[in-house]
Amino acid sequence: MRTTSIRFSGFGGQGIILSAVVLGDALVIQRGLYAAQTQSYGSEARGGQCQSELMVSDKPILTPIRAFNDILVSMFQTALDSYIGSLRRDGTLFVDSGLVGDLGRVPPETARHEVPATETAIALGNKMVANMVMLGYFAGVTEMLNLEQLDAALAENVRERFLDLNKKAIRAGFDLSRDSETNSRTNAGTNNGANGGRR
Amino acid sequence: MEREYAKNAKNAKNVKKEKRVLTGVHFMQGNYAVVEGALAAGCDFFAGYPITPANEISEGMSKRLPGVGGIFLQGEDELCSINAVAGASLAGAKAMTATASAGYDYFQEGLEYGVAVEAPMVIVDVQRCRGENFATQADIMQVRWGPAGDHEMIVLAPSSVQELFDFTVRAFNLAEEYRTPVIVLSETTIALMRERLVIPGEDEIPVVNRKWTSKTPDDYLPFQADPWGVPEFAGLGRGYHTIYSINPHDEKGSIEWDPDAFERLYTRIPAKVAKHREKISTVQRYRLDDAKVALVAWGSEARPCLDAMEVLRERGKKVGVMKLDVPWPFPEEAVSELGRLMDLVVTVEMNVGKYAGEIERACNGRCRTARVTKNRGMIHSPEEILEALGSLEEVR
Repeated sequence: MRTTSIRFSGFGGQGIILSAVVLGDALVIQRGLYAAQTQSYGSEARGGQCQSELMVSDKPILTPIRAFNDILVSMFQTALDSYIGSLRRDGTLFVDSGLVGDLGRVPPETARHEVPATETAIALGNKMVANMVMLGYFAGVTEMLNLEQLDAALAENVRERFLDLNKKAIRAGFDLSRDSETNSRTNAGTNNGANGGRR
Repeated sequence: MEREYAKNAKNAKNVKKEKRVLTGVHFMQGNYAVVEGALAAGCDFFAGYPITPANEISEGMSKRLPGVGGIFLQGEDELCSINAVAGASLAGAKAMTATASAGYDYFQEGLEYGVAVEAPMVIVDVQRCRGENFATQADIMQVRWGPAGDHEMIVLAPSSVQELFDFTVRAFNLAEEYRTPVIVLSETTIALMRERLVIPGEDEIPVVNRKWTSKTPDDYLPFQADPWGVPEFAGLGRGYHTIYSINPHDEKGSIEWDPDAFERLYTRIPAKVAKHREKISTVQRYRLDDAKVALVAWGSEARPCLDAMEVLRERGKKVGVMKLDVPWPFPEEAVSELGRLMDLVVTVEMNVGKYAGEIERACNGRCRTARVTKNRGMIHSPEEILEALGSLEEVR
């Protein structure tokens, strides 16, 4: 495979870095590939811009960052605005459709996926797992890895008491990718850091 | 207080319940790879004071060390930490501390002490700049020349998460072998990066231990060795009443201001490292056999150099890379050989241009030299290196 560069972006507290870590863990440990994950974030615990870059390849990765990404995941409008310029024009874009409304700057040749990640997470009972809904959707579209591989990586990186919820979120996202009409909407939900990200 | 500490230490020794070596394949952050490397090398004492981007080393040590019978101490500052490490080492522990650039400033007095009393110590400096977690290689001269007095520092510069593990193991081994402080010169780029890490089986990891004396306290001379040798060790608290002083001392350890004793001591201490430079200061050569242009880098900057080399090779340019695993002691023979064999030697580094001076000195006018530097808190991209090289006639 050629080296693929994926950027996850959003605001602090959305589990942006955890998404990249879980995906990288699954690709390295479960699929035996090479991955390099880097990150930057503001010093605030929540809020502020947050991004993480994951490079994936079947051979060791040298320079761990790229001028242009192949895939961009944006969980918030300002994140999309910041990073759309570094997505290859013929790249692939995933956005949280509830939090990213303006796709005006996205080039026409970019493949776009508008995913109701936060809405789906709220329907599952906790909006904090929107990142995992997105990751499940991402896995469904890119076919980089299957649900079992993601589950195994989740178990390494998420506290046990949040594991089931995260697994459910990944499945919900995966199902959405298979049937983009599925779109449950509720207003319930709490904000208690349900990913409980370790490390 | 001391008794309480000793009791806790004793209790900690009894809590051997976790695996010391986490053999297997991991997707691990660089700072944690340092922790695992240290444990694999036998580290049993860590003292540190918080600072980003080195915090995960302290955090990891606080979690892992008690479980393998070691001791974790959060110092009230960097001075406490480095001196605690020196003390633990003189008591026989394999001891480490970690910080980032601004914190490293405070270590100098402890490093001078460690050199003078010949305490094996491992010090991690995760270089940072712009006051936060931005990447740099700006500490390269400080790690060589920081402490006062005569010394030859051993500085290892890993370029990946795997090397953070491997070089930390090696740092402990070198510290033990030469009884001296050894620096692991990490960087924000690799410290906060997660990558594939393969930890070998416990039996496959070479572990060196300092040579403990078999002499009785009456016969033991704590600072006696041949002119470039390392004295035998006797731990504190075992009946060997050694004075470990930063002042000049004779073979018995008595403070001695006499110029002969001073000269003897400070000939031997740097020489024990310098004499073994070729063995210590390993380099990695990439496609240098037929090369006319060499890119020279240490640490993370070797990575974009290798990417740039591949691009130039595809264009038919005879370019190779020399990666310096151990910037200090300076790999004199390897670099001066480049000066003899190459048309052009280019130093690539992430600072205003510091180590380049050493490379150019060693090339000694026998080939053309150039510098590609970047000081913006970010690693070079291969494109930036290619662009900078584009103006040089040997590469054009």
